[in-house]
Amino acid sequence: MAKWGMVIDLEKCVGCQACTVACGMENNRLPGEMWQDVIFYSEGTYPSAQLKWFPRPCQHCEHPSCMAVCPTGATYKTEDGVVLIDWDKCIGCKYCMIACPYGVRFYTDEKPLVAPDMRKVHESHDEHSWNPPWKMPDAREDWKHGVGIQPHDVVSKCTFCYHRISKAPKGTPDLDPQDPKLREFTPACVVTCAPGARFFGDLSNPESVVSRLIGDKRGVRLLDELGNKPQVYYVTGDGGAVPSTRAFNKKS
Amino acid sequence: MNFTYPKTVSEAFSAAFKMFGENYRAANVWRLSVAALAATLAFVFYKLLTEGHATFNTGSDGITWGLLVVVYAFFVLTSTGLTFVASMAMVFGFKEFYPIAKRCIWVAVLTLLAGFAALALELGHPFRMLWAVPLGVQTHSPMFWMGVFYSAYLVFLLLKFQKVSGGDWTSGTSKALGIISFGTVVIAHGMLGGLFGAIAIRPMWFGPLIPVYFLLTAALSGAAFAIMITYLTYGGEQAMPDKVRSLMRGAMPKAFAAVLGIVLVATLSRTGIGLWSNIDGLQVWGHVVHTSWFWIEMALMFGAFAMLLMGGGALFPALMVIAALFIGRYEFVIGGQMVPLFKGTWVPGLIEYAPSMTEWMIVVMSFAIVFAGWAFGERTLNLGASPQD
Repeated sequence: MAKWGMVIDLEKCVGCQACTVACGMENNRLPGEMWQDVIFYSEGTYPSAQLKWFPRPCQHCEHPSCMAVCPTGATYKTEDGVVLIDWDKCIGCKYCMIACPYGVRFYTDEKPLVAPDMRKVHESHDEHSWNPPWKMPDAREDWKHGVGIQPHDVVSKCTFCYHRISKAPKGTPDLDPQDPKLREFTPACVVTCAPGARFFGDLSNPESVVSRLIGDKRGVRLLDELGNKPQVYYVTGDGGAVPSTRAFNKKS
Repeated sequence: MNFTYPKTVSEAFSAAFKMFGENYRAANVWRLSVAALAATLAFVFYKLLTEGHATFNTGSDGITWGLLVVVYAFFVLTSTGLTFVASMAMVFGFKEFYPIAKRCIWVAVLTLLAGFAALALELGHPFRMLWAVPLGVQTHSPMFWMGVFYSAYLVFLLLKFQKVSGGDWTSGTSKALGIISFGTVVIAHGMLGGLFGAIAIRPMWFGPLIPVYFLLTAALSGAAFAIMITYLTYGGEQAMPDKVRSLMRGAMPKAFAAVLGIVLVATLSRTGIGLWSNIDGLQVWGHVVHTSWFWIEMALMFGAFAMLLMGGGALFPALMVIAALFIGRYEFVIGGQMVPLFKGTWVPGLIEYAPSMTEWMIVVMSFAIVFAGWAFGERTLNLGASPQD
């Protein structure tokens, strides 16, 4: 069984947000509710201030704290290493959002993050929380795996495009968007990444590109000290860095 | 007994108000709280039906758990504390607490229900919770165990209340129910403490001593409510039966002052360490001590402590402590989320939050449940009963 993971090369990432847009279109995200986001932040002060950015999908941790705290088992980890939410079991307690160190979870029913409220503009008349004009085919909607347009009052998050990767041929070491045979099984953010900063593959296969990148370029995990052991790795090289702290005025 | 069923809603209300007879205080509290309950429920359900949970000012990019979780923690911990007060007589043998024990059990039930009601409105799917939590059996989740033990606690509390209502205070079963209720709520509140204390990424909450801190503040909250309800029942010390009066002048304010003193030390210690430490997340303490609410909380607690030491009545200190504890719960629940997590790296400061009108209405609703329930119990359940009767 594969253990899917992602490697993001921060030296290549240009902060174009194409991944964010592709994710939103692929997964019918509400504007502002970005399962995949690129976070812009500044480090240092004038005259040496720097604008930086950091792409951040769900980290699909080996030991996900969101799953540990879920009182119903709605958040679970699949055999191939993906952390998902069963929307039929989620009670909307938001404890997972409290416990996730990476802030990658979203609650459906709250004040719109971006105006106008698209749930009002494209109102749903069934159990879906909204009815966007663009959406994946109904056949792909899968609430047990948190895929599709979510119902009301549940929590949602990045699925690594589970509706794509779960259909990949068994034993595939890497889902390379350059390979036409694998493109449709590759997560949307990886497919769309113009500078080719994203790699997706089997972390348990030492021959996979992701495994070799992690080994050769010393891949690091975000907030590794917490013990969640993300399955998203960052390679930094000389030109990038994983932000280690929050940009908040700290006491000296 | 002559009884005719009311035919209209106004007749039903009229009958409900008349049932208090000459007990004007309970009748007035009943009227006010039923009216508040009806008004707040109407407002809250209208908002929920038209806006859904977007009527709350919580958000994925801000404060995830808002005022309703504050209310939940405030009331369920008050329930815990009221059980501690009742257990002084029923478990630990301090017989002077018997005259208020039955009333404390009843108000413990009410405060628990008030907390549950606020939580049910906060949850996305409260009815799904009823089957998804027990069938999920997520033994690694503090919230699962909190649900299990608070539910068991409610059942044991009701059984105990039924026993004492039947005049059975001392049988083996009755005593066992008292001990089990006490034990269950100690564990339940520990699970609530663990629910916050286990979250290592939020240092304001994190730590093995949070359940102990909750234990102390729960005891204080319960004692304050016990005093307030006792004064409300009798209207003043003069009207109290001798045993109640001597409790309210003797053991109760002493125990109350002792717990308040310990809570003051714990609160100052938390604040001092929070201000001194440099770990991400604790910066919120710098904000907390710059709010007027923190100083109001401190003034209320120190003022109450001074009044108790000077030997005045316990009512005003109790009211002051209730207000201070509500502020404290707000600081705890909201403050723990105010420093942005990693996702908020671009956020220049703390996350801002102000509860919506709907959230405030649910606070009023929860208090109305407690007071309406108390008035109803005062009229129909002989809450002043004790084994000596």
